[in-house]
Amino acid sequence: MSSAISPRSARNDRGIHRRSLLAGTAAGLVATGLALPAFADTPPDLAGLVARVTEGAVPERARIRLEIPALAENGNSVDTRIVVDSPMTEADHVRWIHLIAEKNPFPDMARFHLGPRAGRAEVATTLRIAQSQKVVALASLSDGRFVMTDADIVVTLSACIDGG
Amino acid sequence: MSFNARITVPAQAKAGEIVEIRVLTRHPMDRGGQSDGKGGTVPRKILNRLTATYAGEPIFRFDMHTGVSANPFVSFTTRAVETGDIVFEWREDGGATYTRTARLTVT
Repeated sequence: MSSAISPRSARNDRGIHRRSLLAGTAAGLVATGLALPAFADTPPDLAGLVARVTEGAVPERARIRLEIPALAENGNSVDTRIVVDSPMTEADHVRWIHLIAEKNPFPDMARFHLGPRAGRAEVATTLRIAQSQKVVALASLSDGRFVMTDADIVVTLSACIDGG
Repeated sequence: MSFNARITVPAQAKAGEIVEIRVLTRHPMDRGGQSDGKGGTVPRKILNRLTATYAGEPIFRFDMHTGVSANPFVSFTTRAVETGDIVFEWREDGGATYTRTARLTVT
C-alpha cells in the first residue's frame, strides 16, 4: 500500500501524517482562542521559557529589535545588538533585556539591567549559540509590560563542542 | 588569573550627551563540563556579573550565564552628567572580583 522503498522512508511517511495531525490540532486551538496570540507562531517550549521569565505575562511583539546574523560560521561568538524604542525617562524606560536561546543547554544567556540614566536602550554583546535555532530578546518596561522579538540563526560550527 | 579588560569611554563629553561605553574582557568563560584530559570535567568558571557605577551611582548591570562567549564583549550607553569615575566590577564564579576604572570628563 505504501510506495516506500525502505523501512526508513516508511517511518518518515508516518511521521508526516502525525505532524500534520498535530498542526491541525494546534490550528484548532488558535481558532478557539485558547492559544495566546503572541505565542501563536512560537514553538511551545520557547513560549514556556518566555512565560517563566515574564512570570506568565504575554509580551507584545513591538518596539524591540534584535540584530543578529542570520548565518553564523562559528557559534562560539556571535555579535548581537538589541535596541528598544524607548524614551528612557523616569516614567517610561526599559528595566532589563533578557536573551533566550531555546536549544542552548542553558537557554537563559544573559540579562542587561538598564535604567533611565542609560539615555538609550541599546546594548550589544557576544553570545554562544549551540545550534541553528530561534533566539529571543525580551525586554521588561517600567510600566510592567514586556516586549519581545525573535530571530532565526543558522550556525555552521556549533558552540558547546569541546574546544569551545 | 588571565583576566584583562579593555574599556572604551570617550575622553570627554558634553553634559547631557549620551555616550557609548564598550568593554572587551579577556576571560576563558569556562562553561563547565568539558573534559580536562584526565578523565574528569572542568568546573564552570565564568564571569557571572558586570556592574558599572558612574560617580558612585549604579548605571548598568550585565548578568552573564554560560550563553555569553569567551572573551565577552558588552556595550551600553549612559548620559554624561558630571565628571567622574566609571567603575566596572566583575564577579567570577568562586567569588573573585576584578575592578577597573575609567574617567569621563564632562565639559
